[in-house]
Amino acid sequence: MASDDDTNLLVIVVDVNPIWWGQQAQREPQFTLSKCLDAVMVMGNSHMAMTRTNKLAVIASHCQDSHFLYPSKNWKGGDGSGDDASSSGDGKYELLSVANNLIAEEIREVMSKSKGNSTDTMLAGSLAKALCSADDCALQYMNFMNVIFAAQKQSVLIDACVLDSDSGLLQQACDITGGLYLKIPQKVALAQYLLWVFLPDSEQRSQLVLPPPVHVDYRAACFCHRNLIEIGYVCSVCLSIFCNFSPICTTCETAFKIQLPTMVKAKKKKLKPMS
Amino acid sequence: MMKLRVQLQCKNLHEYLRELSPEILDRLYNHPATCLAVYRELPSLAKNYVMRMLFLDQPLPQAAVALWVKKDSQKDHDECVSVLAGLRLWHSQQLQGGLQGYILNPVFKDNLRIALLGGGRAWADEGSSLGPDRHARDIESLDRYAMERWEVILHFMVGSPSAAVSQDLAQLLVQAGLMKSESGEAPYITSAGFQFLLLDTASQLWYFTLQYLKSAQSRGMDLVEILSFLFQLSFSTLGRDYSVEGMSESLLTFLQHLREFGLVFQRKRKSRRYYPTRLAITLAAGVTSSSSSSSSSSSSSTLGSTPGAGDTGFIVVETNYRIYAYTNSELQIALVALFSEMLYRFPNVVVAQVTRESVQQAIANGITAQQIIHFLRTRAHPVMLKQTPVLPPTITDQIRLWELERDRLQFTEGVLYNQFLSQTDFEVLRDRAQGLGCLVWQDVTHRVMVVTPQGHSEVKRFWKRQKSHT
Repeated sequence: MASDDDTNLLVIVVDVNPIWWGQQAQREPQFTLSKCLDAVMVMGNSHMAMTRTNKLAVIASHCQDSHFLYPSKNWKGGDGSGDDASSSGDGKYELLSVANNLIAEEIREVMSKSKGNSTDTMLAGSLAKALCSADDCALQYMNFMNVIFAAQKQSVLIDACVLDSDSGLLQQACDITGGLYLKIPQKVALAQYLLWVFLPDSEQRSQLVLPPPVHVDYRAACFCHRNLIEIGYVCSVCLSIFCNFSPICTTCETAFKIQLPTMVKAKKKKLKPMS
Repeated sequence: MMKLRVQLQCKNLHEYLRELSPEILDRLYNHPATCLAVYRELPSLAKNYVMRMLFLDQPLPQAAVALWVKKDSQKDHDECVSVLAGLRLWHSQQLQGGLQGYILNPVFKDNLRIALLGGGRAWADEGSSLGPDRHARDIESLDRYAMERWEVILHFMVGSPSAAVSQDLAQLLVQAGLMKSESGEAPYITSAGFQFLLLDTASQLWYFTLQYLKSAQSRGMDLVEILSFLFQLSFSTLGRDYSVEGMSESLLTFLQHLREFGLVFQRKRKSRRYYPTRLAITLAAGVTSSSSSSSSSSSSSTLGSTPGAGDTGFIVVETNYRIYAYTNSELQIALVALFSEMLYRFPNVVVAQVTRESVQQAIANGITAQQIIHFLRTRAHPVMLKQTPVLPPTITDQIRLWELERDRLQFTEGVLYNQFLSQTDFEVLRDRAQGLGCLVWQDVTHRVMVVTPQGHSEVKRFWKRQKSHT
């Protein structure tokens, strides 16, 4: 099998926004954050079980930052010399139980230490981290699109598994990079969806019948109101989009000089004295 | 008399398993490690099938499964179906509506689930109960140990006087057909043994293990037990020690054999802990590559590398038929000397020349040109790996041509008929022989023909009848 020599890295980014998950726990108690993480771990384990060369990374995306749950910076990695706490003492493949224990430990730390009350999550930041560049600043939309195009250049697939509401940004990401976008009808069956739809790699996806791509809304969002617009104004310097004209671009602060049609000054005719 | 050249056949894991009886297979699948190992060897589409059905408890209609693939991948689907059925990973079961369905082998399903999710018994005691090892070995020393032990076996096969192996091991080599022993004398290498020597390490390991497993039952060992243990080893972490707690007598004997082959390290025979070496872990990896296949890509170097002998190759082949082997390992030099003439020897390099005599001598010993080329390719120096093709085509072509020279003559046994008194006699008999399909050769002008030994009796009878009539 020629493809065995290529490493296949799967990075799973999980949105762990505490506000949404807190509300979710009350809406549907049978599907909580821990259940979701269980399904994620099943998917991660299955991916690593497939071949020796498959690798896994899990990132938790929180309000203000994103954390690598696995592999974690505290982990010595590789040979696990003397790491007694990591073995599960049961029939699970050793490599997987090390990974699962680490993920569990890290997510506990993340949830207990992180502060933040917003309903937003640093998804762009997580994706950027996932693409191996640390970028934590604001302005999600622009960074998001940059991340998507960087992924496309590097032939990295982005898949999206949506639990709650559709996201135009994620739809665009999947469409541009060639990944799969799926909004799950039944959250409790998350593990099954992950294994059926998202586990196969790109080679196997060409052979299997999978959910068809969604119609993507490619309209851009204006930077001032976040409305989707079809016609608008674009700054020639930073390419940010506005729905209304403004003389200074809010992103890059360039002043615009628009050539207005020349105003004809009313000429005062000097009355010549009649001779 | 022409010596028959026996090609060394190395089966891969699936081929080996398919030959086992269903009862043994089902017992084998009772261990998560085996299930994981077998799962990893499946074609990738089949892996997805297994994953999809892993958490289902009801059979799936066969028609539904057939719809999983796109139309142009139908062939792949059929291949998956036959592979999964051949290994008894799934079987047909009738659904309630009367349709035919597929369901995973329940033993396999349960144990693969355990391997992925946990539960069940631990594979092996991780040794944490023994506390840290005062005489802990690091990975480098484990690699050195593994290589030393494995090379002793190969040295013994080549006939180096310094190599000594146990009675058990010598007997195993004889049983495997790699060596032959006349009564009372020390064993000497056979042609299959020569071919074995030129293989890459992973294939050698696997071939050897298969032979060991074959003889396991005659030793009173439980095949399932030792095979499960082997798979377990292949998934262990390098550098970690494991405890012998809970291992049966026959497993402990097996462990001692593994110690001799260099697959595990144990400080003393009675030690309570053991360290798997890199050889044990690559054992399962070596399973996919078939030995006598001409692996044209140099990517086989990761599997074929001997730990410690440098994961990189060390042989440079020049277009003037010279070989430069940058090694001082006696074994590697002995292997190169199998098919080339040694010219000079320096502390770090050996210079040899590939000649017609040396190659044909090797071929007379049973080695094929393909194996020589494979040997050179898998041990090629990184400098060589930069060029394509890796080996100069003049050299590879010439080696093959020298091999073909021996095949110019083909011997067929037969019976000669000559001294016919008349042309008609000859023609009648010749036509009869031709009609029977046993005419090998004829010369019409000299009235001579050759008939196969099997057809000879019939032709003779026919001739006698003819003569009595005329």
